Amino acid sequence: MHVDHTQPLEYSSGQGRLNIYGFWVFLGAEIMLFATLFTVFFVLENRTGSGPNGAEIFEIAPVLAETFILLTSSFVIGLGIHAMRIGNKKAMMTFFAITLVLGLAFLGLEIDEFVTYIHEGATLQTSAFTAALMTTLGTHGAHVTFGLFWGISIIMQVKKRGLTPETANKSFIFSLYWHFLDVVWIFIFSFIYLKGMM
Amino acid sequence: MEFFERFAVPHPSPAIYASMVAIGLTVIAIIAGLTYFKKWGYLWREWLTTVDHKRIGIMYMLSALLMLFRGGVDAIMMRAQLATPDSKLLDAQHYNEVFSTHGVVMIMFMAMPFIFAFMNYVVPLQIGARDVAFPRLNAISFWLFFMGAMLFNISFVVGGSPDAGWTSYFPLAGNDFSTSVGTNYYMIAIQISGIGSLMTGINMITTIMKMRAPGMTLMKMPMFTWSTLVANLIIVTVFPVITVALAMGTMDRLFGTHFFTTTNGGMDMLWANLFWVWGHPEVYILILPAFGIYSEIISTFSGRNLYGYKSMVASMVVISALSCVVWAHHFFTMGQGALSNSFFSITTMAIAVPTGVKIFNWLFTLWKGKIRFTVPMLYSLGFIPLFTIGGVTGVMLAMSAADYQYHNTMFLVAHFHNTIIPGVVYAMLAGLTYYWPKMFGFMLNERIGKWTFWLMSIGFVLAFFPMYITGLDGQARRMYTYSEATGFGPLNMLSFVGAGIMAIAFALIVYNVYYSVRYASRNIGSDPWDARTLEWATHTPVPEYNFAVEPQVHSSQPFWDAKKNKHVLFPNEIEKIHMPNNSGLPFIMCSIFFVWGFSFVFAIWPLLIIATLGIFACMAYRSFENDHGRYISAEEIHETEDKLRGAN
Amino acid sequence: MSELFPRKQIVGFVFSLILTAAALAVYFLDLSFAAGMTVLLITAFVQALLQLVVFMHAGETEDKWSIYGNVYFMMAIALVTIFGSLLIFLWDM
Repeated sequence: MHVDHTQPLEYSSGQGRLNIYGFWVFLGAEIMLFATLFTVFFVLENRTGSGPNGAEIFEIAPVLAETFILLTSSFVIGLGIHAMRIGNKKAMMTFFAITLVLGLAFLGLEIDEFVTYIHEGATLQTSAFTAALMTTLGTHGAHVTFGLFWGISIIMQVKKRGLTPETANKSFIFSLYWHFLDVVWIFIFSFIYLKGMM
Repeated sequence: MEFFERFAVPHPSPAIYASMVAIGLTVIAIIAGLTYFKKWGYLWREWLTTVDHKRIGIMYMLSALLMLFRGGVDAIMMRAQLATPDSKLLDAQHYNEVFSTHGVVMIMFMAMPFIFAFMNYVVPLQIGARDVAFPRLNAISFWLFFMGAMLFNISFVVGGSPDAGWTSYFPLAGNDFSTSVGTNYYMIAIQISGIGSLMTGINMITTIMKMRAPGMTLMKMPMFTWSTLVANLIIVTVFPVITVALAMGTMDRLFGTHFFTTTNGGMDMLWANLFWVWGHPEVYILILPAFGIYSEIISTFSGRNLYGYKSMVASMVVISALSCVVWAHHFFTMGQGALSNSFFSITTMAIAVPTGVKIFNWLFTLWKGKIRFTVPMLYSLGFIPLFTIGGVTGVMLAMSAADYQYHNTMFLVAHFHNTIIPGVVYAMLAGLTYYWPKMFGFMLNERIGKWTFWLMSIGFVLAFFPMYITGLDGQARRMYTYSEATGFGPLNMLSFVGAGIMAIAFALIVYNVYYSVRYASRNIGSDPWDARTLEWATHTPVPEYNFAVEPQVHSSQPFWDAKKNKHVLFPNEIEKIHMPNNSGLPFIMCSIFFVWGFSFVFAIWPLLIIATLGIFACMAYRSFENDHGRYISAEEIHETEDKLRGAN
Repeated sequence: MSELFPRKQIVGFVFSLILTAAALAVYFLDLSFAAGMTVLLITAFVQALLQLVVFMHAGETEDKWSIYGNVYFMMAIALVTIFGSLLIFLWDM
């Protein structure tokens, strides 16, 4: 494999550059995936049947906590990639681990949020609004969950094989994924929760 | 025993029972044949585990041809049922099942894989690359398509066929009105296949943008590669939409949600909206690569460079953008206001303009060219007038006020077949004939091919043009019969005759393959058509690594330049080449996807969970895998090249 | 790029916290629907752009035109899909 030492490690192999490019294309597709979920949400937002609407079930405190946790995790993984670029394997793995712990905390809060909604009579089957709400939040949460497992496997590979063009490439791509999920959450935070609570 | 009752077909018929027997016998015959001829190892090593784009392309093509047969049989059954008034050949239920599977099979499992076949086989060769950017992902794309197609195809003998149309509108597709698992098959099989398509989108875009030979700027790419790039951009844009829609449809049917129901706030028309946000760009995904193939063939057999390269590229880019803003023209009559309809009406009419630009560019390419009337050229020449007629009826349909008369009549059916058959199917048959010698080392018979083209065209006109008239007269679409008093009888009979002639034409294609395998010369060289682009600068058969030396290009017709203008295509020395290894993981993971889909269709939750874990296990295996491919040594390449050069 | 102190990341993080706080204005203050939506649209899109450029290193390599082109195209089609659907179902039905 031809390694270009003038580039950051994750870009140093030909296949690595292709992988990063391909992943950006995938993220474009994910923009459309979430756009469709938002389309459905906005069309069904006021169709609450006999169930509650957003203002009745959304609470600012847990939503703020989720937002802050996810924003921080995005910052921390940014520190992780920075550490990777200056060759500090230990710091990178630590930052990645913290990112995943924060991700787990986010999921915990979100699960709690769902349980609360269900107890308040807003289940997946209650109305079109609840279906759209929980499917959108759930799709984002499922992406975070998948990310947790993916992230763990990346940390394991970096631990075992060190910082190589491949492991750096995989780590960078994972960071793109994680940042993207944060971007999606910003839109969820703004246009599902805040808009619903205006 | 009760558990197995769910797999029974809810509306059996003699034809369905006969099919069960036929499928069973075929499966046994295949297994017996492979065992007797000791070909299991060969099958696994050379085809099931391949990551070679050429092999994958051929597998897509064979699958498409098989599915063409299935979809074609559906078509003949429909035409036979409608040939006479009050016919009792198919009852309403079976007619519904047949037109639903006909649509899904032809679009998702015939046309899509056919274009993927050419994209896969041709594009890396056209840009001078050794494979696509992600060969393993490419294999996964194929096997996901294959498993999705297999899942869909067993529906009519296991559990029941979908019967709500290829568009599967709610509330008809909901649990209240579609009680069998048929619509589950629809939601899940298309979902699986769709993931494969999305992966191909990512693969092709990366390949074309990043792996072109030195000197091949974007504006020097062959037109087929351009059309592939644009079509795949549309794929990655709109396939996520149908992914979400199918998931929500599945949730409504299996998890009791209210996305598209008529109660609890659900909005049934939202399904139609989402479906067509995907569905309209989908037909442009199909037609753009077809346009690309026509560009290659018209240029080659006119002996001229394609006229208007820049406007050809621009028109495709404009088409791709516009195709995403016209979708509501599929449901002008659904109840939205005149403002919405006017907007979509205008955008729909606008999209005819770039298409017209392309037609004129092809005509200008032909003008003053030295035309060779080969079979691929005949299809391309037939395409121009026939597709244009289909296109102008599209502009008629685009006028939303007028569409209240045309919508869901046979006029509409005639329009879309008039664009898809001369548009997509002719391109696929032209491409099949054109690229066959490169793929298999011999040519298909010209005489039989010409008979096929003429029978196909006459059959097509006889089958579909009467539908314009019966549609304007009021014959509705998706209706299993009509009364004598309507007067639709004679023209429908004419359609049936036309369909029969088309069937003969397709049978001739099968015969052509058999005849050519048996009698065609294997001594045709590597450039039998005297072509212009890089894919013809390879040996036949194309070696695993495609090009021994990376080609250097200066123009958009690099092979022509090499032949006529002394351009040196391969200036460098042969060095060792890095190739990816074969892998069984794509086939295994996608087989698990089949189990996943099957258990989802029948709501067998334990099996679904196990299959889900299996899929994730495969992904984890892949993540930790340390496979870095292998090298083909320079000596081995020299040997292969000498052998192939001797043969050509 | 090989500086030791992660200045860009910290500035980016602080800025995204500020934007989030600004978005909260629609919850804590009594704004009209139009004003509220404007605030949300601006804060959300700016924060998204921030993530894209600062954290995801979108503008770093020769592929930046592909990356920006891809993201802008997808956002454009996303907006068309969302607003087209809203037009059909909410504003013109």
